[in-house]
Amino acid sequence: MQPTSSMKEEFLQKWQMGLQIYRPLIDNTSVSERRKAIKLSADVAMASLRRGTTCWSRALIQKTATEDNFLVRQMLSGIKAETLINKKLPKVMCHRKIVRRSKKILRRRKSRSAIEEVAAKARKLVKKKTQGLRNVVPGGEFMSNDVLLIQETLDYIVSLQTQVNVMRSIVDAAEAGSERTAYYLGKPKFAIEDG
Amino acid sequence: MSNRRSRQSSSALRISDDQMIDLVSKLRVLLPEIRERRRSDKVSASKVLQETCNYIRKLHREVDNLSDRLSQLLDSVDEDSQEAAVIRSLLM
Repeated sequence: MQPTSSMKEEFLQKWQMGLQIYRPLIDNTSVSERRKAIKLSADVAMASLRRGTTCWSRALIQKTATEDNFLVRQMLSGIKAETLINKKLPKVMCHRKIVRRSKKILRRRKSRSAIEEVAAKARKLVKKKTQGLRNVVPGGEFMSNDVLLIQETLDYIVSLQTQVNVMRSIVDAAEAGSERTAYYLGKPKFAIEDG
Repeated sequence: MSNRRSRQSSSALRISDDQMIDLVSKLRVLLPEIRERRRSDKVSASKVLQETCNYIRKLHREVDNLSDRLSQLLDSVDEDSQEAAVIRSLLM
């Protein structure tokens, strides 16, 4: 699956809506505050595409709400904002102690062949990399089920690609437009390349 | 007793080989680097997972960079200038 044009369109609309909320404040804020506003509204826009159906999007909305509750409520008004912000994420944590103890018992009982050793090492490596994935996907810490984690990852990646795609187009256009306007107005503000 | 419980909890944590192959093939479609490599489906699962992590981090950095550039753009234009109008019409 790739980012579709309807996804990109919807993202752009929602992102613009988020930025409009900041419009009255934009002129009186610092660059870093603006940067934060731009990023947060982009994240909420991206997450809201999923309408609360994925774990990562709910986790991202909750995380953004802790940084700017007002923005999230405004952007989500009409899409059950309250429930999304307050919804409890699934607490399906694995019972590590039990698993560790049982694995220890199993290990003591089995004697392994060389092939089993290699397979075990491979599984351990996969486990480690899977944990790495949990660290980068929002809400990953709540996904003890590996299948769920990978499914969420796939969806998260497509959403990120949508976000990057649209933001890149806007920024490129804005930079080009700004340069061109400055050029035509005779202001040597930016370095212009010919052609 | 503990045997049965341990088997249950560990199978809930681990993906079966078939599921892993299916998921890995889906990830490969999305990850540009891996797509270009050998077509054999023997790319190791851990490698794919690592590439996925790297790719996601790369996308995060790109979003940060784009947010940066945009905030600079909004900063470097005067309130009344034509450039400001261009940018604002694109965004707001």
